[in-house]
Amino acid sequence: MRVLGSWLARAGVGFVRACVVAVVSLLVPAVWAAAVALGIRWGAGNPWSWVAPVVLVCAGTLALSRPVSRTIRFLVAQWTATVIPAGYRQAGPVTQLSTGYWWNGFSYERTSRDAFMDQKWRVRWGDPATWRDLRFTAIVPFTAGVIAAIPPAGAMEALFGLVQPSPALRVIGAIVAVAAAPYAWRAVVPVAVRFLRATPAMTLADRVDELTAQRADTTVAQAAEIRRIERDLHDGAQARLVALGMSLATAERLMKIDPDQAMALLREARAGAATSLSELRDLVRGISPPVLNERGLVDAVRALALNSPLETEVSADLRARLEPPVESALYFGAAELLTNAVKHAHATRARISISRDGTDIVVEVEDDGRGGAGVRAGGGLAGLRRRLAVFDGSLEITSPAGGPARARMVLPCASL
Amino acid sequence: MRVLVAEDLYLLRDGMIRLLAAYGHEVVATAATGPETLDAMLTRRPDVSIVDVRMPPTQSDEGLRAALAARREVPGLPVLILSQHVEQLYARELLAGGTGGVGYLLKESVFDGDQFVDALERVAAGGTAMDPAVIAALLSTGPADRRLDQLTEREHAVLGLMAEGLSNQAIGRRLFLSESAIGKYTTSMFDKLGLTDDGNNNRRVLAVLTYLNRT
Repeated sequence: MRVLGSWLARAGVGFVRACVVAVVSLLVPAVWAAAVALGIRWGAGNPWSWVAPVVLVCAGTLALSRPVSRTIRFLVAQWTATVIPAGYRQAGPVTQLSTGYWWNGFSYERTSRDAFMDQKWRVRWGDPATWRDLRFTAIVPFTAGVIAAIPPAGAMEALFGLVQPSPALRVIGAIVAVAAAPYAWRAVVPVAVRFLRATPAMTLADRVDELTAQRADTTVAQAAEIRRIERDLHDGAQARLVALGMSLATAERLMKIDPDQAMALLREARAGAATSLSELRDLVRGISPPVLNERGLVDAVRALALNSPLETEVSADLRARLEPPVESALYFGAAELLTNAVKHAHATRARISISRDGTDIVVEVEDDGRGGAGVRAGGGLAGLRRRLAVFDGSLEITSPAGGPARARMVLPCASL
Repeated sequence: MRVLVAEDLYLLRDGMIRLLAAYGHEVVATAATGPETLDAMLTRRPDVSIVDVRMPPTQSDEGLRAALAARREVPGLPVLILSQHVEQLYARELLAGGTGGVGYLLKESVFDGDQFVDALERVAAGGTAMDPAVIAALLSTGPADRRLDQLTEREHAVLGLMAEGLSNQAIGRRLFLSESAIGKYTTSMFDKLGLTDDGNNNRRVLAVLTYLNRT
């Protein structure tokens, strides 16, 4: 009895779902049918009976394709927990320029409303997802739509005798409706998965966008870095060397006239040389730490830990040297995380572990600070995440308020 | 003194030879790569070797590794490492052997010829000469050895200067104390560190190693 009850419940739910799928997927063919009916009604003599149905079919299909796709995607997600990513292209920001005009990424418009409208249409037309949705709306009625229509059609026959009001057909209709009800709606799932997912072209386009943004980021960061180095050299070491040369020239001249002052100048010159060396050393450390060049990531992180005011423990199971850019990214990442632990989290102890996970290299930094760290736009951690993203790496932060905090950097490394 | 100069840059090697000659020391051999350095240290047995950390063929820490390898072969073989940068990590590796005759200084320490040659002679005699930057970094970080906690602030200061390689007389000048006062500090310090004078080991070196090897 219970088995029968649950089967009936399933059949009932399935029947409703089949009806919903049939209505949604047959909506567009219904518009087409209406257009054809209109043409037939107006007759062959009326010129409008050729133009109007074509316009109606095109406009109706275009207008309905996205809502139909969205609905099917929503229904599939609700009923089967199968999430099909929509992959619609997002519109960029619309900004007002100093000239008063609005720029939407494509064209200049006089008002913001025009700019948004223009952008909406351009994004819509250029979006490969639009064409994918159109293809789906053309395919779904003849596949999932037809199958989902079986239970409602059987029910119609059983109740109203639509095809032929013979009792035998009514019984067959009822049997078909009940038997097909739990299964008929399921046809929509494979169809939706196959035709609604992002096409390889869309995936590639997304990847290209991502890489373009990263390249721009890297270029900007690199240029800023080079400018910083130039400024440091120009104001620091170069200026000091000029001063050094001047002191030596003066000392040379004074050697005969005033040996004491010449001596003082020479001492000063020596001190200046020492200062400029120490400045250069700091600069070099910021560009590429010598230990990293000489020993690789593990020992460089060990050296970092020794210089940190935190009591830092380093564990590593990594023998091979990595690619220099990867080493550098991970080293500076660890350095930044350690600095954060001191400056923001007020930690007293930290633990750094370097390990490999398949072809990934994993660097984890844990501290006993007060936690609450998060990735904020424009913040240091967001910058770190961007720098790791250049290598297809990732940064995960687990930092509940009150601590302890844990950061995990993962970088795929082909040479491992 | 017979000195080995291992340095790959001609300009610096040449300058070093001239500086040492001015102080009356003889450069018996030069080396420009890691393997050459190791070979020269082991075959020529100089009184002291001045070794650069970064050298060909790999431009990594070839020189340091050659020096460590040579000291594994001949414990206590005097080496003074000269580098553009000092790292605690390298300092610990140099001191890990537990024997003296070790120095680790920044290249600009040659700016003061007197002090540099003094440090070189100390290393040759089995002492130590550590860059103040390494000492300062060691002072500010790392968990302390229990025995070191018992030292007074003054004793700490004396030990720090001793680690740099200064003599009692020089430490006294730095701290504005008499040499005999420094002697008293060092004796009480040695007691606290448990370093007995059995005539065989150099207590100064052992104290410094205890101090620097805190991990």
